[in-house]
Amino acid sequence: MIRRSFTAVIEKNTTFTSDFETEPYEAGWATEARWFVRILELKGDGAALALTPQISPDGLFWCDEGREPILMSAEGLYSLALRGFGQWLRLKARLTGNQPSVKVLIYLALKE
Amino acid sequence: MKRRSLFYSWVPPTIGAEAAAPDEGPSTGDFRQALVRADPRLSMFNPLPRILFHDDFDEGINGWTELQANHDGNLDNLRPVLRDMRPPQLSSCTFFDIGTHGSMNGTYALKLATRPRPFHASAAIKRVTFAKPGLVQFEMYFTFKAEQTFDAGNRRWDGNVSPSELDFGDFTISNDICEGDPGPRYICALKYWNTGLDGKPVRKWTYKTSLHTTTKMERSGLPTQTQDFHVRNVTDWADVPGGHQPLCFNETATKVNWHYLRWLFDTRERRNTELQVNELLLDLRKIPVPMYDHGYRALNHLLNFLVDVRTHRAVRNFLFIDSILVSVDW
Repeated sequence: MIRRSFTAVIEKNTTFTSDFETEPYEAGWATEARWFVRILELKGDGAALALTPQISPDGLFWCDEGREPILMSAEGLYSLALRGFGQWLRLKARLTGNQPSVKVLIYLALKE
Repeated sequence: MKRRSLFYSWVPPTIGAEAAAPDEGPSTGDFRQALVRADPRLSMFNPLPRILFHDDFDEGINGWTELQANHDGNLDNLRPVLRDMRPPQLSSCTFFDIGTHGSMNGTYALKLATRPRPFHASAAIKRVTFAKPGLVQFEMYFTFKAEQTFDAGNRRWDGNVSPSELDFGDFTISNDICEGDPGPRYICALKYWNTGLDGKPVRKWTYKTSLHTTTKMERSGLPTQTQDFHVRNVTDWADVPGGHQPLCFNETATKVNWHYLRWLFDTRERRNTELQVNELLLDLRKIPVPMYDHGYRALNHLLNFLVDVRTHRAVRNFLFIDSILVSVDW
């Protein structure tokens, strides 16, 4: 059997103007996970988005996965890979700058 | 009737069984039924002569994907009610108190999860086409849950009925059928309301009485709403006669009891035929199905299956499905 994989679109052309967390996503069947974040628009003086992967045993209570957040201050595609993450995944997003606004597509690519 | 009485005597007599009889002679039918019965994965179901697909979610997502509106490449043009139906998940039914519950057979189930926002829905769809008109049967083992909350507020807990049971809104099974190019097209939809729009328990099956507003209809200027993608107005649902049915929520937000559902519809007659959910058997043949009065191109022999769940409160709602089997009488 070839290894199964699945890509979930977690946010779809969504615009945020403040901090946010993505919806919980179950990934216990997967060995590998990779977040893809495509910034379609980033507005505001000094605007930047910092993303921290978070993990959870139950989808209710969360902690940081442990690595430094990835920083994004320009439009484009960014990526972050995870292993050994347990059951649930989400991203914690912190938006900084002067009246910042960010429009994103967020994918979660999972593989057995 | 012989086919069913041989092995499924616990199932109530099937409405319209004559139409469902297989084309094979008795000996062929009996042999086939023996093979189905001998396979534990198939003997959970009561398939019509041809199994179109059998999806055990221990084996992966099996073609069930997020429902999404039409667009021209610009996702900003997605209809608001269908722009955020959430990706389906492969869930081990894991909870904060007991850990992993697992599915009915194995570890994983298909899970649809809403956002914690009133009247947000999550919907999954599987898309095929049909080779001939006739009977189509959708069977699944499912359960429904509201996300565990930790502040019951003023809601009383008597040790039996969980306050979280009232946090679950509704779930729906539906199809999307287009016979040719440019039609005719229609959608059958059956919604189970655990609670009504006022938040009170109702526990009943309903059918829709208006058309699903399509992207084409919305772009032509037809008014729409963002709380229920199935219908024009959120109240466009009528009770299925005899359709009151308390299901097994089982006292907490973290106990999973699987339910059997069998829905039969007829693409020759363009109607629902019957719905069985555990002990309840409903005759749906007289229930009207709204037809589109305008044509749709590029949908020739469309046969789509949909499942969705909708919360009425700021609490995530979940629909878990262990497995699905769709069979036809072609």
